[in-house]
Amino acid sequence: MAVVKLEDVGKLYGGVRAVRDVNITVEDGEFMVLLGPSGCGKSTTLRMIAGLETISEGELTIDGRRMNEVPARDRDIAMVFQSYALYPHMSVRDNLGFGLKRRQKDRALVARRVAEVAEAIGLTPYLDRKPHALSGGQRQRVALGRAIVRDPKVFLFDEPLSNLDAALRVSTRAELVRLHRELGATMIYVTHDQVEAMTMGDRVCIMDHGEVAQIGTPMEVYLNPANTFVAAFLGNPPMNLMPATAAEGALRTGTGQAPIAGLSPGRRVTLGVRPEDLAVTDDPARALVSGRVTQVEALGAETLIHVATGDEKPVILRSGRAAQARLDETLHLAADPAALRLFDIETGRAISREM
Amino acid sequence: MARSDRARLSPAALRMTALLLLIALYTAYSAGPFVWVAMMSLRTTTEIAASPYGLPWPAHPEKFAAAWFDSNYDTYFANSVGIVLAAVAILTVVGAMAAHAFARYRFRFKGLIYFVIFSTIIFPPQVTVIGLFQTMVEFGLYNSRVGLVLVYVAIQLPITIYILEAFFARIPRDLFEAARIDGYGEWAIFWRISMPVALPAISTTVILNTILLWNEFLYAVVLITDDDKRTLPLGVLRFLGDQLEDVGMIATGLMIAIVPVVLIYVFFSERLIQGMTAGAVK
Repeated sequence: MAVVKLEDVGKLYGGVRAVRDVNITVEDGEFMVLLGPSGCGKSTTLRMIAGLETISEGELTIDGRRMNEVPARDRDIAMVFQSYALYPHMSVRDNLGFGLKRRQKDRALVARRVAEVAEAIGLTPYLDRKPHALSGGQRQRVALGRAIVRDPKVFLFDEPLSNLDAALRVSTRAELVRLHRELGATMIYVTHDQVEAMTMGDRVCIMDHGEVAQIGTPMEVYLNPANTFVAAFLGNPPMNLMPATAAEGALRTGTGQAPIAGLSPGRRVTLGVRPEDLAVTDDPARALVSGRVTQVEALGAETLIHVATGDEKPVILRSGRAAQARLDETLHLAADPAALRLFDIETGRAISREM
Repeated sequence: MARSDRARLSPAALRMTALLLLIALYTAYSAGPFVWVAMMSLRTTTEIAASPYGLPWPAHPEKFAAAWFDSNYDTYFANSVGIVLAAVAILTVVGAMAAHAFARYRFRFKGLIYFVIFSTIIFPPQVTVIGLFQTMVEFGLYNSRVGLVLVYVAIQLPITIYILEAFFARIPRDLFEAARIDGYGEWAIFWRISMPVALPAISTTVILNTILLWNEFLYAVVLITDDDKRTLPLGVLRFLGDQLEDVGMIATGLMIAIVPVVLIYVFFSERLIQGMTAGAVK
């Protein structure tokens, strides 16, 4: 059990700064997800925690002990790799026991622990097979088992599900969550898949261009994105963002308005609204935006309606399956003012609504 | 119409026949000299002089005993085995270590060191042998089996590193990192991950080096003078006189030298080809 703390951590490759000023505290027993697009520095951050990359700046501590100079093997961490990284020349049994043998000289204890973990994750029938004779899902289990067997302080996952097919990914996701509950261990999980992040993480740390954009529970970051990057990254489709101008007692978009007061008149902001917070209205005077329907995507459970408002991107409305919309029809869309989010048009940072 | 169809072979059968014919010709071409020497090894020089391509009848298998016991072939054989085994063992370990380092680590002057090692293979052995002879004399390694082992290691090291480096470079980095996290140091990772995973490539270099060094003649003839330090390929010198060439015994000696190589090849050729064509580790 362990607290992992990164303070002002940065990574330089030559002169290029890949990660900067990362401050994250992962509490004991917490499941922290590092989320972001490829190249955002999340894997590099994980590899610095693992000891596979040196830390150029700042400090990493695990349970209060400085780890910057401690080699990977002495950090008491286990890592599950995207490629699984199973040793191809060893049986499943030896793969599971390889790390344990290094620390535990008593072979009987190693064998017992390997058997125990194999039983728990359903690998017992495959213990004598080599990795190449296993399916993708079974390999993934071996990789997981190899981490569990050692009972480490911290589990690190580097996109462990991305090589699985869709159905297996869903079931493995659930299994990882169950595992986390049972072990109660500190886990740090890197992914670019927001569904994984939302469903698995106690908290999510969203990274962008080597920096932490926001840390919070999945619902916090979804409902109150700290900036336009988070707003546009989370959600599928993401939050609608459009320019708006403050007027007396209202905020005007290009084609409508919302009753939001408190901003100095004339100030330009970015207005954000989630697709599911929009609804069609018959009253043009209540509309936040109005426009012509350019696309209707009926997905079965829901229908996505694209409305061209004259801004750069169409506004997307998420509606129930019964929604009826014809192409080229004009729609007026309204939203509860409480659901609207405001961002500074220059910096992209969220503007507090209690002004 | 029907008759001409029957008379003519189908295109597939025709292709098959042509292929078989080609293979038969190639087999005769490559195996012919071997069979010829094998036959001569069982015949006396007088018989061979009378009829060079005659069948070995009556056979003289006692010639092998004569070569082995009376003409020092037992010593040559032991020398060859010892020298080749030592050289191949050193080559495999040192070559694999160097390949591991080249494939896995970034270090200063890596490109230059790589270049220096490989630049040696462009010189034909006839060019280097004179300088090598002088070097060996100065270091007291001339006419010694240890000296020959060192020379064999030196001449085969570049190609060994080359083959192994290409293979090691294809081993996914994740494997090494997983082993690091599992608690192993660089040395243990080399022995417990790199070496076993690269086994197909390692066996390729072992077989290749064994065959090449087993047959090596030039360096051995220049650097070894004592009869009891000679290797098998030098054994034929015993039957080459100024006036007379004992062709029958030369053939017998050649067979003693060749048979181990043929056996190695027969048993390990599949492995050799596997290693040369092995894909990335899955």
